[in-house]
Amino acid sequence: MGETNKKAQSLSRIFNSDIVVGHVFAAPFIFGFVCFSFIPICMSLYYSFTDYSLGSKIAVFVGLKNFFMLFKDEVFIKSINKTLQYVFIAVPIKLSFALLVAFVLTRKSKMVTLYRSLYYVPSLVGGSVAVALVWKQLFARKGLFNSVLVNMGFEKINWFGSEALAIYPLILMAVWQFGSSMIIFAAGLKEIPTTYYEAAEIDGANGFQRFFKITLPCLSPIILYNLIMQTISAFMTFTQAFVITGGGPNNATMLYALNVYNQAFKYNNMGYACAMSWVMLIVMSLITLVIFRTSKFWVFSESEG
Amino acid sequence: MKKRIVSCLLAAAMVAGSIVGCGSQPAQAPSDSQAPAAESKEEAPAAEAKEEASAETPSSDEPITLRMAWWGSQDRHDKTIAAIELYESLNPNVNIEYEYYSFDDYFTKLKTLVASDEVWDVFQLGGNFPMYLDKIYPLDEFISSGVVDVSKISEANLKTTRETDGTQLGLTNGINTYGIAYDPAMFEEAGAALPTDDWTWEDYQKAADLITEKLGIFGSSTFLTSDFIAGCSTYIAQQGDLGQNSFFNLDLTGMGFDDPQMLAPFIQMRADMIKKGSYPDAGASAEVTNIENDFLVTGEAAMTWVAVNQFPTIYNVCAEQGRELALAHLPKVTASGNSGTLIQSSQMLCVSQDSEHKEAAAAFISWFENDIDCNNILQAERGIPANEDVRAALAASATPAQQIMYDYVDSVSKMPTPKEYNVLSPDGQDQVQDNYLNYIQQVVNGEITASEAAEKTYADAEAIFK
Repeated sequence: MGETNKKAQSLSRIFNSDIVVGHVFAAPFIFGFVCFSFIPICMSLYYSFTDYSLGSKIAVFVGLKNFFMLFKDEVFIKSINKTLQYVFIAVPIKLSFALLVAFVLTRKSKMVTLYRSLYYVPSLVGGSVAVALVWKQLFARKGLFNSVLVNMGFEKINWFGSEALAIYPLILMAVWQFGSSMIIFAAGLKEIPTTYYEAAEIDGANGFQRFFKITLPCLSPIILYNLIMQTISAFMTFTQAFVITGGGPNNATMLYALNVYNQAFKYNNMGYACAMSWVMLIVMSLITLVIFRTSKFWVFSESEG
Repeated sequence: MKKRIVSCLLAAAMVAGSIVGCGSQPAQAPSDSQAPAAESKEEAPAAEAKEEASAETPSSDEPITLRMAWWGSQDRHDKTIAAIELYESLNPNVNIEYEYYSFDDYFTKLKTLVASDEVWDVFQLGGNFPMYLDKIYPLDEFISSGVVDVSKISEANLKTTRETDGTQLGLTNGINTYGIAYDPAMFEEAGAALPTDDWTWEDYQKAADLITEKLGIFGSSTFLTSDFIAGCSTYIAQQGDLGQNSFFNLDLTGMGFDDPQMLAPFIQMRADMIKKGSYPDAGASAEVTNIENDFLVTGEAAMTWVAVNQFPTIYNVCAEQGRELALAHLPKVTASGNSGTLIQSSQMLCVSQDSEHKEAAAAFISWFENDIDCNNILQAERGIPANEDVRAALAASATPAQQIMYDYVDSVSKMPTPKEYNVLSPDGQDQVQDNYLNYIQQVVNGEITASEAAEKTYADAEAIFK
C-alpha cells in the first residue's frame, strides 16, 4: 500500500515537474520542427552534394560540382541580380509606407482601430494565389491599369512584356502588404513617452524636427527588427513571381525562390536546387549580419543614452 | 525557402501516404493470407470474361480502391469523371478515386509521388515517359492472360506505347498529331492567303503580319512551349531528306542534327514576328494558360498551334461565338519538302509499379480504351481512339469538329514519314525549352543574334546528354 502510494507520488512528481510539463506543451512544436524543418534541412545539405532528382532512388555523391556549376549558370546569376533588385527596392518602400501609415494612425480618433484593421487586411490575403491572379489581371495588357491609362489619354504599358518594367508590379504587390510591419510600428510609436514631445514642443521644435529627432531614434530598434524580418521574407518571395509572370520575360522576374523551385520540380535537378538554397542561406545570413553590424551606428538605445 | 520546399515535399508525401493508407485499408483488412487466394479467384473469371470483350472486370467481390489521375482541360475532366462513374456502376466492387490537374501540376505531383513510391494505380503519361520507366508496370502479362484486350488495336498503334525492347508500357489514349487551327474569316477580312497543304513558314509569317497590320490583332497566337516542338523538332525534321534530320537522335542519346544554324531562320522569324506584333511577346504569352483561353479563342489572334485532339474543344467554344475554325497543316520549310509532322500517341494510361491492384488497374485501362459506351462519353477528347471498333462507332456520330479532326489525321497519315522516328522527349528538355524561349526574347531585345541563339539552344540540348 505504502509502496504504491510512493510510486504514485513519484509519478505525480515527475508529471508535475516543470521540465516534463514544458516539454509536453512544446512537443507539437518540437515534432513539427524536427520533421518539417530540421530533418529536411539536413537532407537538403546532403543532397546539395549529390545529383539527386525527385524521380531517382539513388543519389550519387558529386562533391562540390553543383556549387561550381552555379556560377556558370546564366539564369542563376540573373536571378541573384533580380532578387537583389527586388529586395533593395521593395523593402525600403514597404517599411517607409508602413511607418507613414502607422504614424498617421497614432492620432487619437475613434476610427483608428477600424482603419488599422483595414490596412492590415492586405497582409492577411496578400500571399495568396488568388490575390496574385487578381494582380495579374490588373496589370494585363487589357487590365484595369491600362484601361485607366488609355482613358486618360496615355499609351498602354506592356507591364509583363517589358523586361525593365515587369518586376515593378511584383514590388508593388509586396509594398501593398505592409500591414504586419505597420502594426509593429504602431506598437512602437505608442511606447515613445509623450513627455519627449511635450518638451520638444516647449523648445519650439516643429513637426519634422520632432519626427526626425524623437520619433525615428526612439523607433530605431523596431525599425531594425522590421528591416531584418522584411528583408528575409523578401528574399523568399515566390508566389508573385510564380503565378503572375512565371519568371518571364527573359527571366526578368526570375526571383531566387522561383528559380530553386524550377530546378527542383520542373527541371528535376533536386541536388542542384538544394545547393542553390544553401547559397541563398549564406547570402541572406551575410546581409542580415551586415544589417546587424551597421545597426550600432543608427540604432538608438535609451539605456546607453 | 529550402525549408519550405522540402517540407512541402514531405507534407505532400505524408498526405498522399495517409490517403492511400485510408483507401487501401478496407481492401487489405481481410488479412494477407487471403490475398493469394483472392488473386487466383480473379484469374478464373478472367478467362471467361474474355468472350464478352472486357466489359466486365475480372475481379472478385472484394472491394477494391483504385487511384487514378490525369491532366487536361475542364472538358476532359468532366468526360473522364463520367466514364469513371459508368465503370463504377458496372463494377460495384471497384471504387475509383480520381485526381485531375493541369499539365504542369500533374507532373509536379507525379514527381513527389515517385519519390515516395505512391504513384497512382492508373496514371497518364505522354511523350516524356522515359523519365518514369521505373514506375511503369508493363502490360504484357495482362495481355497474355487476357485481362487486357488488344485484339482490336492495330500493331502500329500498339507500337506507339512500346519500349524499344518490345515491352508494352501502356495503352494509347488516342492517336494524335499537331496542326494549326485558324479562323478563315479573319484571313479573308485581312486579305491574307488561306493556308494550303503545302504552305511554308514564309507564307505563315506573311499571313500573320498582314492580319496584324489590317486587323490589329496577333496574326498567330503563342505556340507556348510547343514553339519548341514546332520550332526545333519539326523545323529540323523538315530539312534535308526524309528522316535525315531530327532534333534528338532515335534512341535519345544525343543530337539528331549537326549544324546549329539550321535553327537560326526559325528563331529569326519568331523574333521578327514579335517585333512586328504579329506574335505574342513573353508578357502576352503568360496570359495564355490553357487552350481554352488561347488568343484564337478570345478573338485576339487568327491562328494557333494545337494538338488536334484539342481542336473540337476550341471549335465548339468558337462556334458559340458564331465563328467557324478550320485546321491546317503545319507550314514547311519548302513547299515540296518534308512535312516533319508525325502521327503519335497523345498519351497513354499505365499501371504503376506501386499499385496493390495491378490486375484491376489493367482491366480498367482495357475497358477505358476498348469499351464503346465509355468512348462515347470520352468523345475522342484525348485523341483518335486506337481501337478500330470504337473509331468506327465514333465516326458514325461525329460532330463537324470531330469530322475535321478525323479528316486531318487521315491526311497526315498519308504523308510520307521516315521509317523510324522518335517523338519522345528526353529528361531535361523542359530547361532547354525555357532557355530557348528566353533566347528568342534576347534576339528581340537585340542582345544576341538569331545565329547565337541557335548555337546556345544547341549547346543547351547537347548538355542534356553529358
